[in-house]
Amino acid sequence: MANYQQTAGQGGLAFELRSLKPARGFVTVVISTLMLIVVCAIFAPSAISAGGLAGSLPFAAIIAIVGLGQMLVVQQGGFDLSLAGGVSLAVVITTHMSGGSDAQLFSSIAFALACAVVAGVVNGILVGVLRLNAIVATIGMNALLYGAVFAVSGGVPRITTPLMAQIAGGKTLGIPNSVLFALVIMLIVSFVLKKTVIGRRFEAIGANPAAAHAAGLKVQLYQAMAYVFAQLHYCVAGILISGITREPTAFQGDSLLLPSVAVVVLAGTSLLGGRGFPISTVIAAFFLNQLSQFALAVGVPFSAQTIIQALALVFGIGVYSLRWKQAATKRALKSKMEETDNV
Amino acid sequence: MAKVAVMKLVETEPLNSAPEAAPTIRLSNITKVFSGVVALSDVSVDIHPGEVHAILGENGAGKSTLMNIISGVLQPESGVIEFNGEVISPMTPERAAALGVSVSYQHPAVLDDLSVLENLRVALPDRVFAAGNPAEIARAMLDDVGLHVPLNARADSLTVAQKHLLEIAKALATRPPVLILDEPTAALDQDATEMLFARIRSIVAQGTAVIYITHRLAELRQIAHRVTVLRDGQYAGGALVRDVTDDDLLAMIVGRSLASAFPPKSDDANPETNFIVNGLSGRKFHDINFAIGRGQIIGIAGVEGNGQSGVMRALAGLEPWKGDVRLKGVPLSAAEVKAKSAYMPSDRHEEGIIADLTVRENATFSALDQFSTLGILSRRKELGEVSRVFGSLSVKTPGLDTGILSLSGGNQQKVVMARALMSRPGFILADEPTQGVDVGARFEIYRILREVSQSGTPVIVNSSDAAELEGLCDVVIVMSRGRVAETLRGEDVTEGRIVAAAVKAQSHVAGVGEATKAAKSAASGLRQFIQSDNATVVPLAAVVVLLGLYVFGQNANYLSAFNISNILLLATALGFIALGQTVALLMGGIDLSVGPLAGFLVVVASFFINDGQSAQTIALGFALMFLAALAVGTINGCLIRFANFTPIAATLAMYIGLQGLSFVLRDGPGGYINFAVMDTIGWKLGPLPVAFLVLVVVALLAEYVLRKRRLGWQFRAVGSHEESARRMGIRVNLVIIGGYIAVSLFTALGAVMLMVQIGVGDPAQGVNYTLASITAVVLGGTSLRGGRGTFIGTVMGAVLLTEVLNAVSFLGLSQTYQYVFQGALILAAALIYSTARRQAGT
Repeated sequence: MANYQQTAGQGGLAFELRSLKPARGFVTVVISTLMLIVVCAIFAPSAISAGGLAGSLPFAAIIAIVGLGQMLVVQQGGFDLSLAGGVSLAVVITTHMSGGSDAQLFSSIAFALACAVVAGVVNGILVGVLRLNAIVATIGMNALLYGAVFAVSGGVPRITTPLMAQIAGGKTLGIPNSVLFALVIMLIVSFVLKKTVIGRRFEAIGANPAAAHAAGLKVQLYQAMAYVFAQLHYCVAGILISGITREPTAFQGDSLLLPSVAVVVLAGTSLLGGRGFPISTVIAAFFLNQLSQFALAVGVPFSAQTIIQALALVFGIGVYSLRWKQAATKRALKSKMEETDNV
Repeated sequence: MAKVAVMKLVETEPLNSAPEAAPTIRLSNITKVFSGVVALSDVSVDIHPGEVHAILGENGAGKSTLMNIISGVLQPESGVIEFNGEVISPMTPERAAALGVSVSYQHPAVLDDLSVLENLRVALPDRVFAAGNPAEIARAMLDDVGLHVPLNARADSLTVAQKHLLEIAKALATRPPVLILDEPTAALDQDATEMLFARIRSIVAQGTAVIYITHRLAELRQIAHRVTVLRDGQYAGGALVRDVTDDDLLAMIVGRSLASAFPPKSDDANPETNFIVNGLSGRKFHDINFAIGRGQIIGIAGVEGNGQSGVMRALAGLEPWKGDVRLKGVPLSAAEVKAKSAYMPSDRHEEGIIADLTVRENATFSALDQFSTLGILSRRKELGEVSRVFGSLSVKTPGLDTGILSLSGGNQQKVVMARALMSRPGFILADEPTQGVDVGARFEIYRILREVSQSGTPVIVNSSDAAELEGLCDVVIVMSRGRVAETLRGEDVTEGRIVAAAVKAQSHVAGVGEATKAAKSAASGLRQFIQSDNATVVPLAAVVVLLGLYVFGQNANYLSAFNISNILLLATALGFIALGQTVALLMGGIDLSVGPLAGFLVVVASFFINDGQSAQTIALGFALMFLAALAVGTINGCLIRFANFTPIAATLAMYIGLQGLSFVLRDGPGGYINFAVMDTIGWKLGPLPVAFLVLVVVALLAEYVLRKRRLGWQFRAVGSHEESARRMGIRVNLVIIGGYIAVSLFTALGAVMLMVQIGVGDPAQGVNYTLASITAVVLGGTSLRGGRGTFIGTVMGAVLLTEVLNAVSFLGLSQTYQYVFQGALILAAALIYSTARRQAGT
């Protein structure tokens, strides 16, 4: 037990450098995406042509936004099945309540956001405060949200206002607006998570709620807020869908649930909670969407695409779970050592 | 350790040690290293049959490591283990069990969700119960150790002491040739201890070799023949108990004078008081009073479980309390106490550190406000402060952004201290601050605590190590049964006085007696049922009937034979799939792939089970359905157990993949199912579909297996507490993979019913059954935490869910209500059950 004095103190610079080392998930996602782009360029140039991207990127943007929302919940060790209902409700509110008139658009958007907050708060209370299992609570909330979807729409699709189509479907400087929305949301989420007190505590609570509680943090509040902000993400995604898709159905959210979880996992966020990777999540959304485009372009039938997605998911989880396994065994070893002997 | 306690002993039964027989176990030159820290160094011990061999030593001396090496849980770096003269290499838990090594762990491997009887039966081999009525045999086992609790009481209603007795009963039951007892009396009172000693004497007389791990010198004279003393992982001495004096033993245990290593105490005879606790009461403690002067450290002592940790947690704001707490003369409200305190938890891995975060993040997460403006962090400020504090605490870390787990225990604890100090607390609570900390770092921690105290921040230390309190504290309060038994100051703060005060008051540990009564009253018929897993069946049945009658009142067609059979037929498909989901939830997992699997299997069937196909082809179709299910279950299970996927991740990937496969096989509805097959499966007895009766029979069978067969106990054991299940020798991987196969096979049965319902291979069908099955299981009352569940409740849940959805159309309500009812139902059920469980738990 010598040299106890040789400690921190020296070299803040070294620490700075070390901290710049990107997360392994980021590297994995970026390399996979680059490889996919190269493969596309060789075998299916149409999938990465300007025209092809303009058509597909808005959908990647939607997956990215719901993925960021799901990520917040997953960071708290939860799982949000009410995503489908949340997105669908936002879609039908913006299409039906506005009644096709631009004048009503913003009031209906405001109403959609208010509904999202209510749904998020109820989820948050059920999971954070009343300690219901996240899956059970969000299954219930999903059904309630779909009840609202039918109350608003009667289950029939409707066309949005021209203004919404212009906002969500338009382009600025050649980039689809929906992509800009996704990027702005990503920057906000990254900044809040990594550079603010709230975000850092949010990640700490997700990684070990018991330790955070013992240190006096308001664990329940943070856990509940994850659901509120997640619903806001879903709501924004739903509003954008109502502008991008010509005639969105009442079940628009259903097809987004699985991709949302897939991109979170592919980005390296552990389903057990903890650190989140917003930028990787957005890249993973692009990757997943591009994978479908590629499959489509080389003539894989639409039906087989989900199989490719499943394989990508298994591969992604496989890569990370090895890492989790290492961490888990390390932890188990330490705790065993602890329990067996107070060395 | 304590002379006073030793003096009290009157037990002087002549210890007629057996004549020198060949040792049962011989350990030679054992060395064990944990990530650089030597836990055992070149230790050799012989364990003889017909003897109680005590292993004595302080916390951290290496006692438990030695035990874990004998039981095969840990493998030594070097050294030889011999059993009856035969070299065993390597020793594994299975090998040890086969050789007849039985262990009673310090932390009992008792499964809370199982009953006392089930705990015994799942942990012990069948032969133990083969001789007669299992209940009577179990009763005799418990009587043997003086544990008087109802056999059908759930283990979570037992006190800590009772769980220890249960653990000991399990260890004794197999009549093992080698019995290891790790601190068995830590939670026991005088009577229970005497009873245990009597049992030990009788089995030793039959030739069993007993290894008795303790740090209480007092017990040694009562029970042990031979003693080996360990100190800091080294062999410090050994002797026959009758040949050695207490003073010799003490010298071996302590080995050196600790006094010099502690920082000097406060020399201020009459310091100004800066922290006062008056009449503090909480859940497990009453009327605690103490005052701390500037520069003083106050210690809390007592036998574990006498309210000490409750006091610490209350002062940390983690438990409710009443009373008066004053910091520097100012009374603090509950919120202020929480804000002003900095708590260093005793369980560092659970509550102290965040394993996935870096050293820096661990150090700062509660003090972030100081490095931020308007909530935005300054990295420079954060690094500066962390470097400064780490420097002053001599934290040894390879870098600020390395993972916390790469640090040694002592340095991890210093990071926890750094966090406590950085939050600029009003006072510091250190709960077992040196547990799991190596000797060198231990004294650094004492020095830091002393410096903090001198700078004017009150320091309160809870420790189970009386020597530590003697060296560190100026004032010590000794707690017993939730009250302050004695307050020691100045010269009186000695290890001996502390132990004497704790033990004197210790004539009767609260708990054993009371709890026996509580558990007994709980056993009385009705209450027992209410607390059982099947309690939900009655209210569910009532709701099903009442709802049926209400809708019947609105629309007479509702209870027509046609509609009843329609509901039951629909419920059968859901019911089978939900039975499968119940298995997954019982194991503490979940299976999201059941819905797509059911749909996929119907698509598979639609290629074979058609009109005009031969009987062989149809049979082949059914066989393929079940084979495919078998494959899916195996893949799910293997992904979860061997590739380390979470159940959600594995079954989600399977969900997506199966959906894709269905669409690959058919891009739209097609392949009409054979009418004769559909007719046969849909056969009815009056309004009752036979298939539904089959579902009920299957559920009852599954319920029987779950309650009465080893397989069922194993499922629940794994879901209840995986680590304990493993220690009991359950092959966890096998059970869980088998479980996921069972989920898929149940789903295949559901798919057969689904096939009859839709009559065609449609790749879009089935997906909804994932959420519906979870809803049905939750309605039925199975807990998503694992370990508790009911198949009968699941069937009721499936019926209720189907009934509600069906009722909506009969009541002429819109689709909105179908969703709203479904959502409200699952949330209401989940809230009611979780509240009920919480109440039963308290």
